Amino acid sequence: MTPTTIRRINWMGGAFTILTVLIAVLWAFPIYWGIISSLKPENEVVRPYIELWPDTLTFEHYWFALTQTQIGKWYINSIATSVGVTVLTVSTSLFAGYAISQLRFPGRRVLWWLILASFMVPTQVLIINHFVLMANMSLLNSWAGIILPQLIHPVIVIVFKQFFDQVPKDFREAAAMDNASEWAVLFKIYIPMNWGVITALSIVTFIWAWNAFLWPFLAVTKTEMMTITVGITQVFDAFGVYYARQLSAAVLAGFPVALVYLVFQRRVTQAITLSAGIKG
Amino acid sequence: MKKFIAIAAAAMVGAAAQAQETVVWWDFLGGGDGVRMKQMIADFNDAHAGEIVIDGTTLDWGVPFYTKVQTSVAVGEAPDIMTYHASRIPLAVDQGLLQELTPADFDAMGLGQDDFAPSIWDAVSADGKQYGVPIDTHPIVLYYNKDILGEAGLLTDDGLPVGLGSRAEFTATLQALKDNSDVTFPLGSVTADGNFMFRTIYSLMGQQDGELMTDGAFLVGDNATKLENALAVLQEWTNEGLQSTYTDYPATVALFTSGEAVMMINGVWEVPTMVDLEAEGNLFEWGAVELPVIFDHASTYSDSHVFAIPEGNDMSPEKRAAVLEVMSWISKNSLFWATAGHIPANNNITAMDAYKAMEPNATYSSLTANMIYDPKTPMAGVAGPIFDVMSTYFVPTLNGEMEPSEAVEEIIYELNDM
Amino acid sequence: MLRNTKKEWLIAYILIAPFVAIYALIFVYPTIDMFFLSFQDAPLVGAGDFVGIENYERLPRDRRFGTAFWNTAYFVALTVIPGTFVALAISMAVTRLSGRTQALVLALFFLPYILPVSVVFRIWDWALNFQFGIAMHVLDAFGMDRIPVFKTTTWFMPAVAFVTIWWTCGFSVLLFLAGLRAIPQEIYEAAALDNTSRWRMFRHVTWPLLWPITGLVLTIQLILQLKIFDQVYLFSQGGRPNDNLVMVYYIFQRAFVNNQGGRAAAIAVVLFIMVIVISVINFQLTRLSERRK
Repeated sequence: MTPTTIRRINWMGGAFTILTVLIAVLWAFPIYWGIISSLKPENEVVRPYIELWPDTLTFEHYWFALTQTQIGKWYINSIATSVGVTVLTVSTSLFAGYAISQLRFPGRRVLWWLILASFMVPTQVLIINHFVLMANMSLLNSWAGIILPQLIHPVIVIVFKQFFDQVPKDFREAAAMDNASEWAVLFKIYIPMNWGVITALSIVTFIWAWNAFLWPFLAVTKTEMMTITVGITQVFDAFGVYYARQLSAAVLAGFPVALVYLVFQRRVTQAITLSAGIKG
Repeated sequence: MKKFIAIAAAAMVGAAAQAQETVVWWDFLGGGDGVRMKQMIADFNDAHAGEIVIDGTTLDWGVPFYTKVQTSVAVGEAPDIMTYHASRIPLAVDQGLLQELTPADFDAMGLGQDDFAPSIWDAVSADGKQYGVPIDTHPIVLYYNKDILGEAGLLTDDGLPVGLGSRAEFTATLQALKDNSDVTFPLGSVTADGNFMFRTIYSLMGQQDGELMTDGAFLVGDNATKLENALAVLQEWTNEGLQSTYTDYPATVALFTSGEAVMMINGVWEVPTMVDLEAEGNLFEWGAVELPVIFDHASTYSDSHVFAIPEGNDMSPEKRAAVLEVMSWISKNSLFWATAGHIPANNNITAMDAYKAMEPNATYSSLTANMIYDPKTPMAGVAGPIFDVMSTYFVPTLNGEMEPSEAVEEIIYELNDM
Repeated sequence: MLRNTKKEWLIAYILIAPFVAIYALIFVYPTIDMFFLSFQDAPLVGAGDFVGIENYERLPRDRRFGTAFWNTAYFVALTVIPGTFVALAISMAVTRLSGRTQALVLALFFLPYILPVSVVFRIWDWALNFQFGIAMHVLDAFGMDRIPVFKTTTWFMPAVAFVTIWWTCGFSVLLFLAGLRAIPQEIYEAAALDNTSRWRMFRHVTWPLLWPITGLVLTIQLILQLKIFDQVYLFSQGGRPNDNLVMVYYIFQRAFVNNQGGRAAAIAVVLFIMVIVISVINFQLTRLSERRK
C-alpha cells in the first residue's frame, strides 16, 4: 500500500471512530434524558422546549419516592426474590448438569431430552396454570410464590453440562485412585475448577430475575409484596402530572443493576456470552 | 391508690393497643382527590388512635384495579375495604365479589336509605340487598382558563365561557380561540384513552336522550344514530384542529395546567389539582362549569364512588365492626371530601351551608339535576364489557382514523358478539 | 476402573432430585394442566365443566384473537431480523475500536440491556411523549409533524419493536463480538495484502465465519420475541390495549381481566404449539444450512 492510501485509511478510520462514539452517545441519550427530567420540577418538565440541564435542580421527586411510597419494601422484595431465584436455579442446575455429564444412571437420556425440549417451551404460556398452582399452595403474595415459577432456566443446565464435559477425565480417574468419594470429586474438583462459570451464570440469572416483570406482576396482589420492577408501574398515580416523579422512581429501580454492571463490566459481559453457550 | 390507678390505666392502654384493628384499604384515587383521601385516612387514624388504623394503598385506576380485585378475591387475598364504582356493582354482584351490607350493618353505621338520594341508593342495590356505602357522585365538567378566555373576550359577565348553549356557539368559541395565535389547543381532550372518553360520549348521547341498552338489546333504533352524532361532533373538533389529539390522561391535565389548552373536559376529581397549584401560585385564574349543551338539553354522565367489602377474606366480627366504622366516619365527614371536587352522597352533608358555599362546586352544582348513569347491568360499569368494547373504537374515531358510522357498526357487532 | 453402579445411581438421583422436583412441579404438571383446562368452561381459579373443543372453535371468529395473532407475527418480523442486523452493525463498529474507547462505547450500547423493562418503558414513554417528549421537539425543529407513536396502530408495533431492539440488542452485540474475536487475524491480514475491498472482506470472510453466531442470535431472538408481553402491556396502558394485543397479552386479558381461564388456556395451547412448530422448523433450517457448507 502506498503511504497516501494508509493516510487515507487512518483519516477515514478516525472519522469512523468519531461517528461510532457519537452514535453510542446518542444511543444512551434517552437514559440521560430520563435522569435529567427526574431532576426538574413538574412544571419545568412539560416546557415546550428542550433544556438539557435543569433550570431548577431538585431532588424533591426522589425524596417523595423514597418517603411516600413503599419503594424500600420493593427493593427488599426484589433483592430477596432475585437472590432466591439465583441460588436455587444455579445450585439445582449445577447438580443436575454434573449428574448428567459425569454419572451414568437410568433415565439420564430422558432427563436430558426433557431439558432440551423445555428450552423451546415458552414459560409465559403457563401463567394461568402457575397462578392456579400458586393459589392452591397459598403462595401468592409471598417470596416463594414469586420465586418458584421463575426457576425454569434450562440453558443454565446445558451450559453446566458442557463445562463439566470438558473437564479432562484424568482428574476423575486420579481421584478414583485416591479413593475419593463422588462428593469429594464434585466439591473438591469440579466446582472449584468451574468457579468462573458459576459466578457468571449467577450474574446472568440475577439480572434476569431482577428484570422479571410478567410473573411477579401476576403473583402479587398486595402492594407491600411487589418487586420494584412491578411496583413502579402499578402504584403510581394514574391521574395528574407526575412525569418527573415517575421517572425518579424508574431511576431508583434501574440504578442498582446499572451500578452492578458498571462495576463488574467485564464479568457481566463474559457472563452474557456464556449464557448463550459461547465461551467468550 | 395512685399507684393502683396508674397500673390500671397502663393495663387499659395495653389492652387497647392489643385490640387495635388494622383495616387493609385499597383505592384507585390517584388524582388530586387521592391527596384529599390520604388526608382523610390520616385524620381517621388520629381520631381512632389505639383502636383502628387504616393501612391504605392506591392502585392504578380502571382495568388494572378491577383485575387485581378479581384475582385477589378468587385467591382469598382481598383487602378489608375498597373503593368501587357504583356503575360496576351489578357486575361485581354477578361475579360474587362483594359482601352484602345488611340492614344491621347500616344500623351500626348510623346510616340508611334516607341519607342518600334514591338514584344513588338504587345504584348500590341488587335484588333488594345493599352492596356498598356511596361516598360521592362525580360527574365530568368543563374546566377553563379565565385569563386566556378573558383576554380573547370570550368570558361572560358571570365569568363563564361564552357559548355554552349550543353546538354552533361552542364550536364558534373554540374557533375563536384557535384564531387567537397564542393558543395551542382550544380544548384539551383525553383523545388517546377510550376509557376516559366514554364519559364525554355518553354525556353527549344523554343530551339526545340516547340509551345504550333498551330491554337488554344494545343501541336499538335511533340510539345508534345518537351515538354516531356524539362521535361526529368530537371528530369535527379534531378535524378542525380545535382539540388536542392522541392525548393521554396525564398529558391532558398537563396541557391545561401549563396553559397550552384553554379548556378541558375532565372529572371533578381534578379540582384539588387546580386548587393546590393555585395555592402554590403556579396556576392562572380558572373555573369549572357544567358541560356545554351540544344537543337538545343539558346532560352529564356521572358515577359514584362507593365503599365495599370484598368477598374472599375471613373477617373477625371485631374487624368487620372496624370496617363499618371506617365507612360511617368517612361518610359523615365527607364535607372534606367535597374539597376533592366531588358531590358528597350523604344528604346531610350537601344540606350544610358550608357545602353550599364551597367553590367551584357551587358553580357546577346545577348539573346535579341533569346527571345520567350507566345502564344497570352486569355488562356495564368502569372497565366493564360494554365500556371495554366501546372504548376500543373511540380512539380511532376521535382522532380521525375511522368514520363515526363505521365505528358505530363495529361497536354494535362486538357488543352483540360478547 | 470399576464403577460401583448402585452407588453411582443413588448419588445421581440425589443430585438431580431437587431439579427434577422443581421441573415436575412448575413445568411438567402445569403444561399438562394447561391442556386439560383448555377443554373446560372454567374461570381463572375454580372448577369448570368439560365443553369439548368449544374454546378452540371460537378462536377463528374471535376478532381479538386475530389481532393478537397478527400483531405477534408483525412484531417478530419487525424485531428478529432488523435487531440482528443492528447488533451486527454495532459489533462491527465496536470491534475495530480498542482500549478505553472500546470499553466506553460498548458500555453505552450495552447499558439498556441491563435495565428492567419498566424502566425502559418510562424512559421511552417520556422521550416519545406526544405532547412533551424530546423526540417531538426534535420533529418540530425540523418542521415535521409530530407522531403519536404509542397511540396509533400504525406506529405502535414499529415503535415498540424499535424500543425492544434498543433494549435487548446489547445481548446480541456481545455474542457477535465474541464471534468476531474468534476469527483469526491472519485471515484479514492475508486479505489486506490482496488489496481486497472492505465490503468483499466482509462478504467473503466475516459473514460466512460469523454465520453460526448469526444463526444463534436469530434463533434466540425468534423464541424470545414470540413471547412478547411486557413492553406491549406497559406501552398500551392509558391507550388502546385492544388494538395492540399480542398472544401472551390476550392470554392475560382472557384469564385475569375477563376471568375466563378455559378460553385463555386454549389461546395458550395455540401459542405453545406455534412456538414448538417454529422451533422445529428453525432447527431443521439451521441444520440444512450447515450441511450445505
